[in-house]
Amino acid sequence: MNATLLAAPSASQTAGRRSVIGAYPAGRLARHLILVLFALYALAPVYLVLLASVRSEADLFSGPLSLPWPIDFSNYARTWNESGFAHYFLNSLIISTGSTILVLLTAPLAGYAFAKLDLPRKELLFGLFLAGLVVPAPSVIVALYGNLQKLGLLDTRLGVILPQAALLLPFSVFMMRTVMQDVPKELIEAAVVDGASPLATYFRVVLPVVRPGLMSLALIAFLFSWQEYLLPLVVIQTDDLKPLTVGAATLQGRYGVDYGGIAAAGTIAFGPLVVLFLVMQRSFVRGLTAGAVK
Amino acid sequence: MTSQRTAILFVLPALVLYLAFVGLPILQVAAYSLFTWDNGTVTGFAGLANFARLIDDQVFWTALGHNGIWVVLTLAFPLMIGLLLASILAECSPRTIRVLGAIYFLPRTIPLVVAGIIWGWIYNPMFGLANWALDLVGLGVLGGAWLAEPSTALYALNVVGAWTFFGFCVLIYLAAIQAIDPSLYEAAQLDGASWIKRFRFVTVPLLKPTTLFLGLYAAIEAMRFFDLVWVTTQGGPGYDTEVLTTHIYKTFFLVGDFGYAATLSVVLLAIVLTVSGVSYRLLRSA
Repeated sequence: MNATLLAAPSASQTAGRRSVIGAYPAGRLARHLILVLFALYALAPVYLVLLASVRSEADLFSGPLSLPWPIDFSNYARTWNESGFAHYFLNSLIISTGSTILVLLTAPLAGYAFAKLDLPRKELLFGLFLAGLVVPAPSVIVALYGNLQKLGLLDTRLGVILPQAALLLPFSVFMMRTVMQDVPKELIEAAVVDGASPLATYFRVVLPVVRPGLMSLALIAFLFSWQEYLLPLVVIQTDDLKPLTVGAATLQGRYGVDYGGIAAAGTIAFGPLVVLFLVMQRSFVRGLTAGAVK
Repeated sequence: MTSQRTAILFVLPALVLYLAFVGLPILQVAAYSLFTWDNGTVTGFAGLANFARLIDDQVFWTALGHNGIWVVLTLAFPLMIGLLLASILAECSPRTIRVLGAIYFLPRTIPLVVAGIIWGWIYNPMFGLANWALDLVGLGVLGGAWLAEPSTALYALNVVGAWTFFGFCVLIYLAAIQAIDPSLYEAAQLDGASWIKRFRFVTVPLLKPTTLFLGLYAAIEAMRFFDLVWVTTQGGPGYDTEVLTTHIYKTFFLVGDFGYAATLSVVLLAIVLTVSGVSYRLLRSA
C-alpha cells in the first residue's frame, strides 16, 4: 500500500525531523512503541495462562511471570482424565462440527439464490435474515427452552446444534450472498446452455469457484460454535454432554483453588481455535472482513 | 416460473431452520410477555401489566445503564485504539502487518468464558498480575479487588471486553485503509503534512463508513453480551455489573418468572432492532 512512505524516508528527514537513533524519527519511534504496547496487552494474558498450565503446585507462588520449573504437564493429564475434559472436548467437536455442516449445507444455497436466482420477494426475505444479525441469543432462550423440551431435544447435543446453526445463519447467508455475487454470470449461463439442472450447476460450477469463501464460512461458523456458552449452558444438564466452555466454567466453580488445572482446562478450550486461526489466518480475515468492507 | 420455484427451494432449508429456531421463538417471546405465568404454565392474560412492571424494576434500569456505559466505553476505547493501530500498521511491511495483525486478533479466538477466567486471575487481589504490576511500578496503593468492588467492577470487566474486541477493529480498519487510494497520502505528504495531519485529514474522514459499521457492531454486542459477566461476577457485587442479559437469565432460570423474562427479552430485542435500523439508514447514506 504505502510503499512510497517506506521507500522514501528521506522526504521527512530532510524536512528537519528530530531523529533519535540515526534514521529513526521520534514520531515513528513513538508510533512503533504504541504497536508494541498493544501487542503486550494482547499477549500477556495468554502467556500467563500458558505458564500457569505447566507450573507445578510447588512452584505456584514464585510470581505470575516467572518461568515455571520444572515444566509440569500433570495439570493437563489430571484435567483431561479426571475432570472430564476428554468428554468436553469431544462434545465441543461434535457440536461445532454439526453446526458448521448445517450452516454449510444451507447458507451457500440461500446466498446463491439471493445473489443469482430469480427469487420472488427477494428484498423481504433478505431483510428477514438481515434482522437476525442483531438478535441476542438470550432473548430467544425463554421460548427456545420450552420448544426444545417439547421436541425432546433438551439435554441433547442436537438441541444445541440446531439453534446454534440457526443463530449463525443470518451472518452466513449475508456473507454467502456477497461471495456468490462475484461468480461470473457467463459461467452459470454456459452451464445452463449445456443443459445442466440448477442443482447440478450449483454443485459442479458454482461451488468450486467459491471454495475460498466456503472455507472462510466454515472456519467462522466453527469458531463461533466452539465459543458459544449460553446455549449449551441452558440446553445441557448432563455433565457428559457439556462442551468445553461450560466445562471450564464449571471447573472454575468446583475447584476454585486448582489454578494449574483451570489453566490447563482453559488452554484445552482455546488451544484448537488459536492453532486453527494461526494456520488459516488469511481465510479467517477474509471471512471476517467480507461483510464489513463493501 | 420454474426458475422462481427453484430459487425458493434453494432458500427454503436455510429459511426453515432460521424460522424454526430464531423466528418462531421471537414471536413466542412476544406473546409470552402478555401473560402471567406460574411454574411454566399460563395463569392468565396480563395485557401490558408485565411491561408496567419495568417502571419500578430498579434492577432493570441499573442493568440498562450498565449496557449504556458499556456501549460508550466500547465506542471510546477498542474502536479508537483499533483505528490508531491500523493507521500505524498500514505503513509497516506486509510481514509486520501479518504478524501484529494476528497478535492483536488472537484474544478474539479465545472463548469469552475462558477470557473471563483468565482475567479473573489477573484481577485477583491476592496473587493477580494487575496488583503485582502496580506494586512493581510503586503504585501498589492503587491495587484492589478489581472485580469485587462496586466502583471498579464494571470498568475492570470492560478492559476484558476491549481485550477481545480491539484486534477485530484493527483488522476491519486495516482492510478499509488498504482500500484508500495511495495517491491521497502521497499528495498529503508532498504538501508536507505530518503523520498526525495525514491521520486527521485523510484517514479519519475516509474511514467514516467503517467507523459507523464498527460502531453499530460494537453497540449491538454491548447490548447483548452475557458470557463475560456470567462467568466472572454473575452481575455482582450486588447489581453493580448486572446487564440486561443476566437480568433475563436470572428472571427466567432462577426466579422462574416466564412472563417477565419474556418482557425483558422483548425490550432487549426492541432496543437492538431500533438501534440497528437507525444505524443501517446512516450506513446507507454514508
